[in-house]
Amino acid sequence: MNKLLHQLPRVLGMVASLLLLTAANTAWAAIDGISGPVFNLTAKADYISAADGASIYAWGYANGNGAMQYPGPTLIVNQGDTVTINLSNRLPVPVSIVFPGQQGVTASGGSAGILAREAAAATGTVSYTFIASQPGTYQYHSGTQPALQVEMGLLGTLIVRPSVADPLHQAYGHAGTRFNHEYLFLLTEMDPAIHDQVAMQVAAGGAINVDTSAYHPVLWFINGRNAPDTMLDANVPWLPTQPYNCMPRMHAGEKLLMRVVNAGRDLHPFHTHGNNFTLLARDGRLLESAPGVGPDLASSDFTLRAVPGQTYDAIFEWTGKNLAWDVYGHTSATQALAPNEYAPDHGKPIPVILPNLQDLTFGANYSGSPYLGSFGALPPGQTMVNGAGGYFHMWHSHNEREIVNNDIFPGGMMTMLIIEPAGVPIP
Amino acid sequence: MSSVNLRKLLLPFALAALGAIAMPASAAVFVQCPGDTNGDAVPDAPGDPNVVCKHLAASDGFITMADGRVLYTFGYSDVTGTPPDQAVNTGLLAANFPAPTIELKEGNKFYLTLSAAGFAMRPDLFDPHTVHFHGFPNAAPVFDGMPEGSFGVNMGSSLTYFYNVVEPGTFLYHCHMEATEHMQMGMLGQLFVRPAQDGTQKTYNGKNYTSFVYNDGDGSTGYNKAYALQLSSMDHVFHEVHLGVQPLPFANMKDTYAMINGRGYPDSVNPNPLPAPAENGGLVSQKVSALVQLNRALEGEKLLLRLTNLSVTNYYTVGTLGLPMRVVGSGAHIARGPGGKDLYYETASVTLGGGESTDVIVDTAGVPAGTYFLYTTNLNYLSNNDQDVGGIMTEIVIQ
Repeated sequence: MNKLLHQLPRVLGMVASLLLLTAANTAWAAIDGISGPVFNLTAKADYISAADGASIYAWGYANGNGAMQYPGPTLIVNQGDTVTINLSNRLPVPVSIVFPGQQGVTASGGSAGILAREAAAATGTVSYTFIASQPGTYQYHSGTQPALQVEMGLLGTLIVRPSVADPLHQAYGHAGTRFNHEYLFLLTEMDPAIHDQVAMQVAAGGAINVDTSAYHPVLWFINGRNAPDTMLDANVPWLPTQPYNCMPRMHAGEKLLMRVVNAGRDLHPFHTHGNNFTLLARDGRLLESAPGVGPDLASSDFTLRAVPGQTYDAIFEWTGKNLAWDVYGHTSATQALAPNEYAPDHGKPIPVILPNLQDLTFGANYSGSPYLGSFGALPPGQTMVNGAGGYFHMWHSHNEREIVNNDIFPGGMMTMLIIEPAGVPIP
Repeated sequence: MSSVNLRKLLLPFALAALGAIAMPASAAVFVQCPGDTNGDAVPDAPGDPNVVCKHLAASDGFITMADGRVLYTFGYSDVTGTPPDQAVNTGLLAANFPAPTIELKEGNKFYLTLSAAGFAMRPDLFDPHTVHFHGFPNAAPVFDGMPEGSFGVNMGSSLTYFYNVVEPGTFLYHCHMEATEHMQMGMLGQLFVRPAQDGTQKTYNGKNYTSFVYNDGDGSTGYNKAYALQLSSMDHVFHEVHLGVQPLPFANMKDTYAMINGRGYPDSVNPNPLPAPAENGGLVSQKVSALVQLNRALEGEKLLLRLTNLSVTNYYTVGTLGLPMRVVGSGAHIARGPGGKDLYYETASVTLGGGESTDVIVDTAGVPAGTYFLYTTNLNYLSNNDQDVGGIMTEIVIQ
């Protein structure tokens, strides 16, 4: 597998150059999505690109007349909004939307379905309205033949921002849910064989009849992309139907809100290298023993067991505390502390000698230095994709069979957290 | 093609690899351990009592499934105490499954040297290796063993990781180099940290304890005897294809042998190391039993089970019949809210996704003496491939 490993730096090199080129264009890197409270979505078909090169026929929700996208647009509303979703259907089958976690959803138009009123095939429309009464992270997906239609891509995230002074930096009503940065981790998997069968049946113009029980996923996604595409910028032009990326970044001492959605059908244990996270909420409800007391039932863990259909909000923090060496590489206690540096370790050297360059095989995200914000020597020809000497920590499904793209390692349900040195702007 | 035939076929290459271990001048085993003067990772003079050193070699090897099938594996072996000039030869083809257990105490300064001993059966491979201390708090990439953000150590060379151990709990460790492959191949191990509170005496519900899972302050995580039980599973096709030097079937990975401490039932209840497979030259490679035994008259009534899962394909739920289970921690963290609220709970089963850990206390007070079972309720994995009794199951013998 060494050959594949050695291709990784090249791939990541391209990724990094793109990130650097496009970073300046990103106005605000909070979670990408569209604001309501009225949304016009169109269910339609198109193709998505897997990171192994496959082009896969998929169904998805588009924003108005825009491109079909996987996942559907992230709908971002404010607590108390009366939310209306007008759904138009361009698919050859009836389609609908359900909103798990929302109460009092009313529908108008269309025709009755099992879980929700449906928009008729090809030209139908239906509207759904509800009051977003509770803040949090939710999902939405097709309520029509979900075993097939959700697999085909008819799913998305709904974020309800709380009624507080700074709803862009607080997840729920309680101050214990404040954060500096937020990122979405929408986890899905896919069996391209099902998509191929649907594509052939649609092309033939007949009924869609696929056995979804013979399910064998070979592609795994975060926010609709397989690694390493997860680390590309959002809205890159060559992934027109997969606009969302997943590139979490933070500084030491900051709080990063993880909004995790399992929209697939398998359990995904999501592991955060670097530190434990604190799980604050599940399915849009704060883990609290009584209303208003704050997340007193929150728990700390290093692997988030994301089960199908559930959503989670968790806070991740990192300071480099208690390592017994100075992560900034200060050589003297008289040097100034870095922001949020753990003072008792200030000026302490690493207690071991690192091996010679020729004794090691380097990853593309290593700066050449063990210190945050520094660079060091690397072997000649070594690709280095690390703009500011940040610390890269892999965040990934710990079912490691899910960090591949078909038969190619690495890939799949994986991205990197970057702990950036102080001073590196994070939009 | 059976693995034995393959081994014969590949023997010349394996011997060639042994010769090739004489690396370029720069590469050499290099152990770093304060107080150790001869490089065997054992301090030679009294020094800081908190210093703990270990030397692991990474290589390939063979293990035996409960139905007798022998699998080719990657793994670690403990070469602590071995002179550095012999560490590679000692470690070659000596992979253990599970990896040697690492037991630490809060406050330890842990110097872990990893030497990559190469692959006896795959001389075409030059894969480096790492150790990922899974769950280590506030990790820096340099010692995290995640090679994309740091590095792996090349064949014939050594890398010493340093950990200032400040948080107690049940962690895990594994190789993170080409993680899907190296972990499916068996580079998985147990790692736990006893709390600073250990050794003090606390009284909880009228009983005295001196061993605790966490620094609970009130003795509520006190126990009398501990066992670490790690769940894992392997796809024998992947291992056979690997030994046959064929492209690896990632997409079709489907585990066929589910194990607890590297053994399917009934091997899990063999209290001894499993007999050495001939394929690795007769080295004992499965040393860790999963049999749980408690003599209450001599040892006390409370059992701690440190449960972890490092399967790369499946979550597993494990339950007991007739024994009360109390979860006191997960993710190397006491089950308490940020404000100190107890989140302990009673249960009859625990679910573990890959990369998860849970601390379960079994209070056997009032439980009739006898043999109890702990087994997976993913019932299809109560099997050793096509042998439909086995898999993730072991016995808890209460006297």
